[in-house]
Amino acid sequence: MSAIFKTLKPLLVLLAGVWILVGCEAGPPPTNLAPAKAKAAQCVEPTADIRKNHMAYLMQHRDATVLAGIRSKQYSLVECINCHVDPKRADGSAVHYEDRDHFCASCHTYVGVKIDCFQCHADRPELANQTNYQHKLGSAESYHFSHQLGTPAVLSLQDLQTITSGGVQ
Amino acid sequence: MTKNLVNEYRRRFLAGLGLMVGATLLPELSNTQAADVTARPENEPASSHKRWGMLIDVKRLTDGGAAMVAACQHEHGWGHDPQASAEQQAQWMRVVKVTDKQTLHSFSLPVMCQHCEKPPCVDVCPTGASMKRADGIVYVNKHTCIGCRYCMMACPYKARSFVHEPLKDQKPHSPRGIGTVESCNLCVHRIDKGQLPACVEAAPHAVIFGDLQDPDSRISQALKASGGTQIRADLGLNPQVYYLNI
Ligand code: HEC
Ligand code: HEC
Ligand code: HEC
Repeated sequence: MSAIFKTLKPLLVLLAGVWILVGCEAGPPPTNLAPAKAKAAQCVEPTADIRKNHMAYLMQHRDATVLAGIRSKQYSLVECINCHVDPKRADGSAVHYEDRDHFCASCHTYVGVKIDCFQCHADRPELANQTNYQHKLGSAESYHFSHQLGTPAVLSLQDLQTITSGGVQ
Repeated sequence: MTKNLVNEYRRRFLAGLGLMVGATLLPELSNTQAADVTARPENEPASSHKRWGMLIDVKRLTDGGAAMVAACQHEHGWGHDPQASAEQQAQWMRVVKVTDKQTLHSFSLPVMCQHCEKPPCVDVCPTGASMKRADGIVYVNKHTCIGCRYCMMACPYKARSFVHEPLKDQKPHSPRGIGTVESCNLCVHRIDKGQLPACVEAAPHAVIFGDLQDPDSRISQALKASGGTQIRADLGLNPQVYYLNI
């Protein structure tokens, strides 16, 4: 038994080495697509394309938005995050870009890409009732102040003239 | 902390509003803000056929503009950066109290980026990050801002701030981060959707927002009827923010 082991030992070591090397070649860790798949079947471009070209789309769109005011949703970074990242993990903790399990970081850490986008941009969707987040998830449609005020009384032209001619205070 | 303050502002603001409605019984409630901004199709760039402006009636701002400032803070998430000292905190909008030394008459007004037609902050920017959009909104393209702060020096209204520290969990619609200058952007993200700026929505009784280039807009009509004052008009920068009763 031990003799057989002795003769096989180099072979076993070799096999173990090969197995480790194969492990190294396993490619990038799988990305966490669960949040996105819960919302859509497809990305904004075919998967192979977005994998390869997302940075170009984002860079192009950011200039279109900030310089010209184009607000289309397709390549919007806010939309990528809304679809691809859950505000919290199952255990309630926050996911940030610094964590390996953040969707964008999952590949970037592996390939050693560094981006500064999340120094400014939120790296997860907004949550209601959080100290730094006062809005509902994903929408500014309804605004807190208008909620509180109901139908606001609005300054009319007539009104304005009364005031300017010294009427009210 | 912030929340309580906001509530306090809101209460005071509502009390003021109640008083005022009681006192004057506004004649035309149908004359709403709803038509002041209309949504632009999302694929369409901002157009130079519009020039957004604001008219603030200081006498009607019973709180001097505190509710407007609170709304701005709420919308963009500035003013409580954890590491910054009080003087370092970003300030997109602030209440300025003015007192006449002779008569001791005093009043308060909210001051933010005045969205000049000829903005000095744009002139001095070495990278072109400080910019004026086609529809007259002046803001920082933070993607090309290098944080040199020339624009902060150049602005006669002290309207710009600098972010000194790494931030987390910013508002998704208002990215702000270390090493860049920022200021009131007239809530571009809201205007583009056809919504009013947050501060305007917070003071509907005292502020009219709209297109200065459209002679029929409520703001143009109001300005035609009652004038309105630009602050430091002597500088010739032609700001788009007008005040009444200052
Ligand atoms: C409405 C939801 C949605 C939006 C918005 C969205 N995606 Fe996706 N994305 C998906 C889905 C679903 C997949 C998985 C597709 C598949 O199974 O092949 C995916 C796949 C990807 C992949 C490939 C991941 C992998 O493991 O190969 C990348 C990269 C990606 N998206 C980046 C982006 C970027 C960048 C944006 C913003 C411009 C964006 N996505 C916007 C839903 C979305
Ligand atoms: C210094 C702060 C800052 C950094 C860093 C930054 N951005 Fe932005 N970004 C902004 C601001 C401010 C806006 C304007 C938001 C608006 O007007 O709605 C913006 C808008 C955008 C938009 C258009 C709005 C949207 O969500 O679609 C895109 C796309 C974008 N940025 C992509 C990027 C990418 C990609 C990076 C990293 C390479 C990046 N940004 C880094 C501040 C920043
Ligand atoms: C499937 C893996 C993968 C995913 C998921 C992914 N990226 Fe990337 N990303 C890459 C790779 C690889 C590069 C580098 C490409 C190169 O350098 O040619 C890159 C580069 C970038 C760049 C350009 C960096 C530079 O300095 O040029 C940006 C911006 C970027 N990614 C944004 C994102 C955002 C935002 C997300 C999340 C919504 C994301 N990426 C998700 C693989 C991924």
